[in-house]
Amino acid sequence: MRRATLLVLVTLLVMTAFGGAVAQEERVLVVGLSEDFHRLDPQRAYEPGGSLIHKAVYDTLVTFPSDSASEILPNLAASWTISDDGLIYTFILRDDVVFSNGDPLTAEDVVFSFNRMKNLKDNPSFLADTIASVEAADEHTVVLTLTQPDSAILAKLIFDAFSVVNAEQVRAVGGTDAADASTTDTAELWFNDNSAGTGPYVVESYEPTVRTILVRNPNYWGDAPYFDRIIVQNMPESATQKLALEAGDIAISMDVAPDQVSAFEANPNITVFSSRSDTLIFLLMNQDPEIGGPLSNPRVQEAVRYALDYEGLRLLSGTGTETPAAMVPIGFIGAIDPAEALTRDLDRARELLAEAGYPDGFTTDLRYPDFNYIGTEFGLVAQKVQADLAEVGITVNLVPEEFQTSLDAYRAGQQGFSQWLWNPDYHDALDYVEFLPAGVVGNRANWTDENADPEILALRDAVRVESNLDVRNELFRQIQLYEQESGPFAPLFQPGVHFAFDSALQGFNYNSQWRVNLALLSY
Amino acid sequence: MSLSMYLLRRLILAVPLVIGISLVAFLIANLVPTDPMAANLGERAAADPQIVAAFRARWGLDEPLYAQYFTYLRNLLQGDMGTSIRTRRPVLDELLRYMPATIELATAGILVALIIGIPMGVASAVWRNRPIDFVSRILSLIGVSAPVFWLALVALLVFYLRLRILPGPGRLDAVLAAPPNVTGLYTIDSLLARRWDLFSNAVSHLILPAIVLGAFSAGLITRITRSSMLDVLSMEYMTTARAKGLSERTVIIGHGLRNALLPVVTVIGLSYSNLLTGAVLTETIFAWGGIGRFAYDSARSLDFPAIMGVSMLIALVFVITNLIVDMLYYILDPRIHA
Repeated sequence: MRRATLLVLVTLLVMTAFGGAVAQEERVLVVGLSEDFHRLDPQRAYEPGGSLIHKAVYDTLVTFPSDSASEILPNLAASWTISDDGLIYTFILRDDVVFSNGDPLTAEDVVFSFNRMKNLKDNPSFLADTIASVEAADEHTVVLTLTQPDSAILAKLIFDAFSVVNAEQVRAVGGTDAADASTTDTAELWFNDNSAGTGPYVVESYEPTVRTILVRNPNYWGDAPYFDRIIVQNMPESATQKLALEAGDIAISMDVAPDQVSAFEANPNITVFSSRSDTLIFLLMNQDPEIGGPLSNPRVQEAVRYALDYEGLRLLSGTGTETPAAMVPIGFIGAIDPAEALTRDLDRARELLAEAGYPDGFTTDLRYPDFNYIGTEFGLVAQKVQADLAEVGITVNLVPEEFQTSLDAYRAGQQGFSQWLWNPDYHDALDYVEFLPAGVVGNRANWTDENADPEILALRDAVRVESNLDVRNELFRQIQLYEQESGPFAPLFQPGVHFAFDSALQGFNYNSQWRVNLALLSY
Repeated sequence: MSLSMYLLRRLILAVPLVIGISLVAFLIANLVPTDPMAANLGERAAADPQIVAAFRARWGLDEPLYAQYFTYLRNLLQGDMGTSIRTRRPVLDELLRYMPATIELATAGILVALIIGIPMGVASAVWRNRPIDFVSRILSLIGVSAPVFWLALVALLVFYLRLRILPGPGRLDAVLAAPPNVTGLYTIDSLLARRWDLFSNAVSHLILPAIVLGAFSAGLITRITRSSMLDVLSMEYMTTARAKGLSERTVIIGHGLRNALLPVVTVIGLSYSNLLTGAVLTETIFAWGGIGRFAYDSARSLDFPAIMGVSMLIALVFVITNLIVDMLYYILDPRIHA
């Protein structure tokens, strides 16, 4: 028995040595990720985890810097022009780009990709709502015509769903960009084992819930990446990722829990990277008096915003957590300086409550999905809100709910007072117009064109079509100042996100859309 | 009654059972007061009536409930379990993908439980109230009551990170490719492909999760074996066996254990079914892509076709293990022949 164990161990040691030798000849990067994607068809992409893979395999017309969403950079498009009315975008493609199978990139591929995405009518298709048509003017010129000016269109084009695929290759496996693509396209499963992109890597294999293996694209048009092979290993539990990183089996842990950060920091071989996320956690107060009760009163809504202890709330989510000034998160062009955020003022809150006719406060329920989101315990945050509001006389009963059940009620606009989160659909401040009257989230608070101030309606309509950046920023500024005073939402914070990696690894950067650009990593 | 007749009768009884389970699973899955649309469409897509309509039509959610059920049964009879809403892959493929990993782990787990549990239970009964009995009772108590989550992390911390004698999470080292797929069990497939390196790697990856998964069953089997042995040891036929001059070994194993095994076999059967269907925590911590995790993720996203598929599979697992237990009864207990 003992001899048998020894035999296994010796074999193992030999194999580990052998594995190490292979790893040196071929540069291999192993990434530990709690896999949160289920499919790899880029035109159906809408899962946060998938971006990590799509970024390495596909290219988009334009892109962001590797560490922020602060500007729009050329990518497949070398340059572009915008017509004066903001309706026609003309992109000139690079002429040196080839797909991983060697086919040259043409404007037709872009047309096919965009139309396929729109016509699949899948999760991301709404991103193409403002696109009237996309046409190839010549081999390297793409003309995008919009239905209305959309200053967020370039940011939208950076999202995975606008990845450019090889039209010929995808058509050959059942892909189509026809109007009836939602019922006739059969290429989805093919994308799980293959890829058709221009990015630095190609998908070698994808074993769902086990690992995704990327190998270097031999025909890549840009600078060759350092690693020959990238193995994204699924490790659903962050405690397991921590052990595997410490043991040296993975080079990056993508899902570090806030309470693990200090343990990692004590280890010189491991570097921790923390940043604020784009996730906005907020309170919703229903505008409909039948549903919201006292919370539908604008004075009460303002009182709640003054009663919250933002500094204390941030502590619940660890390093990297920040509170935006209003409902546009920090990091988006147009967001006002977080230094302008409201600070706690209990006297002002009590005054406002008295003005609203509730000098002794009132009792209300706070509904929230009872779950943990990237290390932030929703129940804990709700308890803090409860304690904060108690100080101004508002008695809050906590009503934790199962996630999907709560989501249904929230989407139906049936929650009077609730705690939720919003992740950006695309990286542009226009996505936060959804928090205004008749927007997706505005509707959930029953904030409509009928019951809203004309002032905010005018701002909303103006910002949607404004393409001059300075004017747009000023409009966003006024919107956020308005949100601080009035309206059915209170921002709580943007939780931190944390990564840990082998300190020898170079080139680690965080971008909130694709998280880490794997092609830029090296030793 | 012959063994084949006995088996046939059990099999026929299983048919209404499986249909009943499908109906109950279908109803429960549909009684959940939420909409699969909410779980599977993003915020914005769910607000777009066109996308919602396309989603409902694609997944048949626009039909009445009874029609959905009959469509399901009809497709099931043709071997079509539908397509998973969440992963967009055929449910049958998904079950075939994840079940072998779980079978491999659960089988290793139950073997660990048997190898530890039965000898410990026997020894504990034979040397009742002696040191070995105390040790075995304490160990079985720990096995039964230690939280899997804690046990798994401690096991990884000690044997993987600190001592470095066993590999970490996953079914194989990350840099190794899986053997050609025949059974889906890496241990068997690697042997079939004569890849000894993969075999030893797969076995070494199995050790920790198997022990963690088997710990509860080992504790349970130890306890049941002990108490069942204690009953048997006081029987008169044991005295008779000794009086006949049989060796103590023959008395304990041949006359004692064989008769004590009946309740133990029941517990083993149940434990094995449970390991096959309830390994979600072990699978999560050891990054073991098995059916437990698939079931959990499917339930969370209200993926009806997948939930139904998993329910049917679990029903099948219980039917089959019960069948095997019944067969063992038949072999172990001659009274059933009558």
